[in-house]
Amino acid sequence: MDVLTRLAHFFAPLTHYVAYILAYLFESIFLVIFVTIVLVFMIYLFRKYMARVQLRIGPNRVGKFGLLQLMADGLKLAGKESILPKGRDDLPFRIAPLIVFIGLVMSFAILPYGDFYWIGSLTITHSNVSVILLFAAIAIMPIGEILAGVSSRNKYAILGALRGVAKDVSFEVPMMISVIALVMMASARTSEPLNLSDLVSSQIIPFGIPEVIGLLVFFISMIARASYSPFDMGESDSELVSGHSTEYSGMRFGMFYMGLFGSIFLSSMMVSLLYLGGYNGPFSSDAGFVYLLIKTVVLVLIAFTVWLSVPRIRIDRFVNMGWKYLLPISIINLIIAGIITLGVGL
Amino acid sequence: MIEVKEPKKELPLVGTLKAMWIVGKHIFQKPVTTQYPEERKPMPDRFRFRIFLSLDDCVGCTLCEQVCPNLSIHMNKVERENPRNKRKIYPDVNFGTCTVCRNCEEICPTDAIYLTHVFETSRTRNSFTYSPDELSLSEDEVIK
Repeated sequence: MDVLTRLAHFFAPLTHYVAYILAYLFESIFLVIFVTIVLVFMIYLFRKYMARVQLRIGPNRVGKFGLLQLMADGLKLAGKESILPKGRDDLPFRIAPLIVFIGLVMSFAILPYGDFYWIGSLTITHSNVSVILLFAAIAIMPIGEILAGVSSRNKYAILGALRGVAKDVSFEVPMMISVIALVMMASARTSEPLNLSDLVSSQIIPFGIPEVIGLLVFFISMIARASYSPFDMGESDSELVSGHSTEYSGMRFGMFYMGLFGSIFLSSMMVSLLYLGGYNGPFSSDAGFVYLLIKTVVLVLIAFTVWLSVPRIRIDRFVNMGWKYLLPISIINLIIAGIITLGVGL
Repeated sequence: MIEVKEPKKELPLVGTLKAMWIVGKHIFQKPVTTQYPEERKPMPDRFRFRIFLSLDDCVGCTLCEQVCPNLSIHMNKVERENPRNKRKIYPDVNFGTCTVCRNCEEICPTDAIYLTHVFETSRTRNSFTYSPDELSLSEDEVIK
């Protein structure tokens, strides 16, 4: 019993097709609400965490403990004038923030979420190849960033977009190779290793323990995907004014901002699903979603610590790192995974 | 000649982990922020800012006006019965230019003008000048 069937039962008095169409519609709305709550929580958590690390207090004026600060900021952003630069390429400039946001929501739709007590399974997409779908969906977001950089006709924005391309090209290959190792490990236990739910349920011990190297490579790749501090060359705050989003203002800029924080949560969730056992927990199997959230939030805090402590790496050094270190390491990890799969049969 | 030491070679990622450890430790320290209107840090004992004038003691000698380096003090005519102040002139102070040098307090022969520890003298109007009557009142009453 999952959310979709429950909704379809709820709408059962209508005809079968209408009920399912409505059920899909409402499930999508629930997903968007979930993503919004995640974004609000993430931005609040980041501001509080950054403040505490810097021995400040953080937002505490609007609402209790500053919980409504983000509402105030959102209202401010929505009320701001969205300035369009003169020499822009109009259509790409307008759709670039939407592409980033839609890519984020799509990636959230594909992840498996596990069970949650009486609601049952929260997983939305049931596909046999959801691993491929997921990585296709998270590859949408950089397209928006590149479009934004190229279409705004600004030197800084174009430089940011070029750096973003160089970054994306250099970390995606090691990332995918380390995922292939996971699929290989899972194929020993399940017939559908490309199905994310099966891949997660087949982790009797989390894949992160036999594949520490893969975990490291994947985590670094996810930092680069979310593009925060050590690897934020696409944005290069204060160096290239703010990279690809230089010319954006108002709600369009807000979408890039939300894309950044959403992709941090998304990448933490992916690391916890693929490497740390995801919604497998020690006691009740009903609380899978809670386990997933706990693991994700711990990873998010680690990610914030990385963000706040490590300075930006130069773009050529990152490209070197991607091709000269991460790629060989991930291939070694693949070989180790093969040995483990054939020899030990974990 | 000064010898420049080469930095110690470390394994990769060790420095990053050290930085993360130091940053993470700060979570458990108290914030240094003072949320000003609600919380106040204790003032030093000898801190002085707001000038106070005792109208009964002032003899109108204009010494404070003469000694003021920024010309913040001017003498004003105030209709008030005081047998020791026949000319009926009292100082007013412009806090916009006062640098709290305390010369006026030092020179005053009758200790009529002196500085207090009050420092919240912000005003919404553009004039920072306190008339002699205002100088003789406490800050709360002046705001009223």
